[in-house]
Amino acid sequence: MATAGPLLAIALSGEQLWWANVLVLTSVYALFALSLNLTNGHGGMFSLGLHGFAAIGGYAAAWLTVATLGSLPGPLLFLLSLGFAMVVAAVGGAVIGIPCLRLRGDYLAIATLGFGEIVRKAIENTPVHALGGSLGYHVPRAMIDPSDSRSDFRLLFVGIGAALVLLVATVLRNAVRSSRGRAMLAVAQDETAASLLGVDPARPKITAFLIGAALAGLGGALAAHFEGRVAPADFSLMLTVKVFLIVVFGGLGSISGCVLAAFVLVAAEQLLTRTGGAVAEWKEVLYALLLILLMIFRPRGILGGREVHEAVRDAWRGLRRRPA
Amino acid sequence: VIPYLVNGLGLGAVYAFIALGYTMVYGIIQLINFAHGEFVMVGAFAGWFVLATLDLDALALPQPLPILVSFFVALLAASLAAGTLAVVVERLAYRPVRKAGRIAALLTAVGVSLLLQNLAIRLGGAAPRAYPEPRVFHEVDALPAVAPANLYVVARDDATDDAEPALVVREGQPIDQAARERMRTTGEGRPYHVQSLPREAKQGFVLLALAVWAPVLWFLVKRTRMGKAMRAVSQDMSAAALMGIPIDRVVAATFFLGGVVGGVGGVAYCATYGSVDPLMGFLPGLKAFVAAVLGGIGSIPGAILGGLLLGVIESVVPYLLREAGWHDAFAWKDVVAFALLIVVLLVRPWGLLGRPIREKV
Repeated sequence: MATAGPLLAIALSGEQLWWANVLVLTSVYALFALSLNLTNGHGGMFSLGLHGFAAIGGYAAAWLTVATLGSLPGPLLFLLSLGFAMVVAAVGGAVIGIPCLRLRGDYLAIATLGFGEIVRKAIENTPVHALGGSLGYHVPRAMIDPSDSRSDFRLLFVGIGAALVLLVATVLRNAVRSSRGRAMLAVAQDETAASLLGVDPARPKITAFLIGAALAGLGGALAAHFEGRVAPADFSLMLTVKVFLIVVFGGLGSISGCVLAAFVLVAAEQLLTRTGGAVAEWKEVLYALLLILLMIFRPRGILGGREVHEAVRDAWRGLRRRPA
Repeated sequence: VIPYLVNGLGLGAVYAFIALGYTMVYGIIQLINFAHGEFVMVGAFAGWFVLATLDLDALALPQPLPILVSFFVALLAASLAAGTLAVVVERLAYRPVRKAGRIAALLTAVGVSLLLQNLAIRLGGAAPRAYPEPRVFHEVDALPAVAPANLYVVARDDATDDAEPALVVREGQPIDQAARERMRTTGEGRPYHVQSLPREAKQGFVLLALAVWAPVLWFLVKRTRMGKAMRAVSQDMSAAALMGIPIDRVVAATFFLGGVVGGVGGVAYCATYGSVDPLMGFLPGLKAFVAAVLGGIGSIPGAILGGLLLGVIESVVPYLLREAGWHDAFAWKDVVAFALLIVVLLVRPWGLLGRPIREKV
């Protein structure tokens, strides 16, 4: 399919391929981080179910792609599968979220964690011929002719990923500033006080939770298309923890911080993996240690919950104020 | 149903041991100690180390004694290791974030859990190791023609190691020429009958251990000074501090006690199922948390009741479903447990024996 025409003609060197890979993974993790930031940062809910929604989205996109491959033009099918993934993940969010959102703090965390584990176990238990069971499920390339070299589709995905992240981040930024967004922030800060001011606490929470689930599904779908494969093992609690690390690193509640932290941590991880040797072997240990140290010393993130431009502005002012 | 019920009770007793640590820590500082499963894992490894290295057979004690003594020492080592680790983790990781809010505390706990898992993988490898089973060794001169029970033929040097037996002859099978031949070749010393305890017997021991521990805990919490302090801190930490109760010491003691009981659970779990690995703590830990919530988090009798109940449900419900015609029902037992968790959280978040907390404005 000559969908992305001239773009596909560019051949990438090994170094460029590596960067393309990092950028696509960054956009996947940035979508996850934006999802988590919405529910846990702005929404003030403590959810640990991201990996469940990501799995639902990834499998939904994979299933739709397999089911309709060839009957629709590639790009349309691709977009359709992303939309489908978001809808199915949001439905999953409704199933668990609507009854559970009245739970307090860490009870909600445990209920959503239980949900994530149920999703993973359920997928593992599916028959091999349906969704691949614990072995995983192959996702055919919807956008390009499979005979094309792998480098080309990566470049295409860099563009798609960046566009999606930009779109989602912009929409979220505006949504948080809208009247409903402010209602959500009020509920997140103090539910009782907000309801005394006439804000119904249930609606903004449910909306944020569903949108968060849909975004996690979108990230899962993008990852599924990029990797060409989904497997239950990819959607373990470790995924949610990694995303949490990104969000906390960037500062809970900071949209640009999420994206920046996704890039920094994904690039760091890939660099470690590429360097190999002892450091790469201790990667998971370092991840965990970083999370603990972050919680102890910078619980509000590297930027302290500010947006990137605010942090830069404050730093600049601090520099100027200092006598030369 | 009866075998499944027994199996469920045995598994439930293990859950109860682990759930006790969750519930005590939650009761005192409202922290879901996510790393508790890893304390259990470290305890299990400490027990494994003792069982794999301690060679009591050399002392030539009368037969059931070596196994009893070695398991006693293993339990002691497991408890001390898990308890000490719990205290260290509390001091280094949890205490600095105690006032930083619950999300920070829970994330720290998740971080500690991952840290311990991956540290154990890096230090000892991810592959499961065979857990030394409670086995009884009988020296034999002549073997009967038909195996009287499951017969594990091992060389003398292997007998105290965790190595797989060189040969297994199932109960009722003839001990043929090949088996005899094999024994002569592997047996640098003398052939041994190794009788493995049936799982029901092991689970009976676990239940027995729970029956011993429950009154001990009751005594510690209700009848000692430290127990009184623990109850005071769990009711109102700042008021307790104003009364001169050393909060930090009480919290550390609670972690220690939770770790000690968890270490027992770890050895019990691994000895029952025959293997230990760095990720073994995660799933039983999560299940034990379900059990603690089921029984009412913060309540010690609740943890025991919830553990036993969860074990039975997890074992009997899939059995009934299978009887009803659903063939792979047992693959879904974890799903059953987590679904139960969500239902309990929704319907009765304070659990069976807990008390509901009213939110004050």
